[in-house]
Amino acid sequence: MGQAGPSRLCLPLFVDGIATIVTVRQDEFERIAMPHSRSLLRVARRLAFDPATAEDLVQETFFRAWRSFDQFQAGTNMRAWLFRILFNLFYAQGRQKSTAPTLVSLDAPGRETEPQSPSRTSLVEVAEISNALEELSSEHRTVLLLAIVEGFTCREMAEILSLPIGTVMSRLSRGRQALRERLAPTAPKVWEARAGAGRARKEMG
Amino acid sequence: MNCSDITELAPLYVAGDLESEGAAEFDAHLKTCPTCMAELETQARLDARFREALLADEIDVRRVNRRIRELIAAGSSGSVAPPPRPNSGRWMTAAMGIAASFLLVAAGYLLMPVHVARVYADAATDHQMEVVEHRPRPWISDRSQIAALAEQQGIQVSLPLELASNYHLDRAKVCPLDGHLYLHLVYSDGPREFSLFLRPRDGQHLTGAIRGFANGRFLRDSSVGSEHISSFETTHLTAMVATDEPSDAALLFAKAASAALQD
Repeated sequence: MGQAGPSRLCLPLFVDGIATIVTVRQDEFERIAMPHSRSLLRVARRLAFDPATAEDLVQETFFRAWRSFDQFQAGTNMRAWLFRILFNLFYAQGRQKSTAPTLVSLDAPGRETEPQSPSRTSLVEVAEISNALEELSSEHRTVLLLAIVEGFTCREMAEILSLPIGTVMSRLSRGRQALRERLAPTAPKVWEARAGAGRARKEMG
Repeated sequence: MNCSDITELAPLYVAGDLESEGAAEFDAHLKTCPTCMAELETQARLDARFREALLADEIDVRRVNRRIRELIAAGSSGSVAPPPRPNSGRWMTAAMGIAASFLLVAAGYLLMPVHVARVYADAATDHQMEVVEHRPRPWISDRSQIAALAEQQGIQVSLPLELASNYHLDRAKVCPLDGHLYLHLVYSDGPREFSLFLRPRDGQHLTGAIRGFANGRFLRDSSVGSEHISSFETTHLTAMVATDEPSDAALLFAKAASAALQD
């Protein structure tokens, strides 16, 4: 009888302890990961073009992040960690898509969007920039979105995309040039000319 | 550093990746080379236009957030429950929370170039403790006394009384950030407040990614925890805006402050 007491007491306490840990962990995830869903969805929509695919990509990213949340080190960059998962998934899906049939989503993601609030930037401007962005290569689009819109440094982008920092810098310079050709074609391009001359010198040398 | 170096290093400089020594050399070249300066300004304008357009394209995350939460809730109650951590208990959670706070503060120092990391981290801490949490501090609210305090700190420009349409100068004090004294001004629209830190410019290079260009000045941006700092330099002043609102709000406040601080 003396031994039955503690086991009866311990099991509920243990179960209660597990439930508490899960809840605390969910709260922590909610607090430090979920605020970044908008950033990830913004980039995913520009990468995937199709809104339903973008939502699936973000949803899968967060679910994987949740499952690996124990591996995330507190104090490190949660947003960069989430983007790294997103790009791993995006590139993996890109490889699968070359062999898999295209699936058409029956969801209508556009219908649930909030009414657009008045913005300082005109719709014409948004459309012009969006068109210019769509014309760029996936590599240039990616680094421009991460650097200019999401504010990542070149070092962070190198980590996120698993690329050497020199490659990131080069893509960023060329992506900016490509964007400028489309948005400000008449502006003088001193750096572009210099970079071209530099490349020519290297090739000749 | 010559023009070719500038061309090559511009992505690092704009993103705030250059170490302080390199950034200072970059700055020095820009001061003597109008061609490179003009090129960087054009790029900063184009970047700002690109960023504003994409941020204006509002997206609704409610559905995707709901789906994520459903997945996590299902996973937590079913077969993909996370492994329990040892020594569970509420005290442990509290201790982890405190440890995480220290780590976050430490990260603020470690993840940014050293000599400005502290000034941004200090500004973020000051804003959080003194403005967001309203910890008791000896503030001055009388505007003539605030003007006198500014003059005492060597700030010769007239301080803006209103910023960003409906934010008014509410209070001020002097605070040390990274070993320098700053005039800490708080602007309020009632429910929301932001901080503007000012001190006479002394050649210290402010780093951080360039996020905008206004009134002939680069606007730089850094985040420390949940605080966003946007900084710029006038001819005679070093200025930083700190807010707990999204980073584009910090940039808007900084633009307004830059427009108001003409020296």
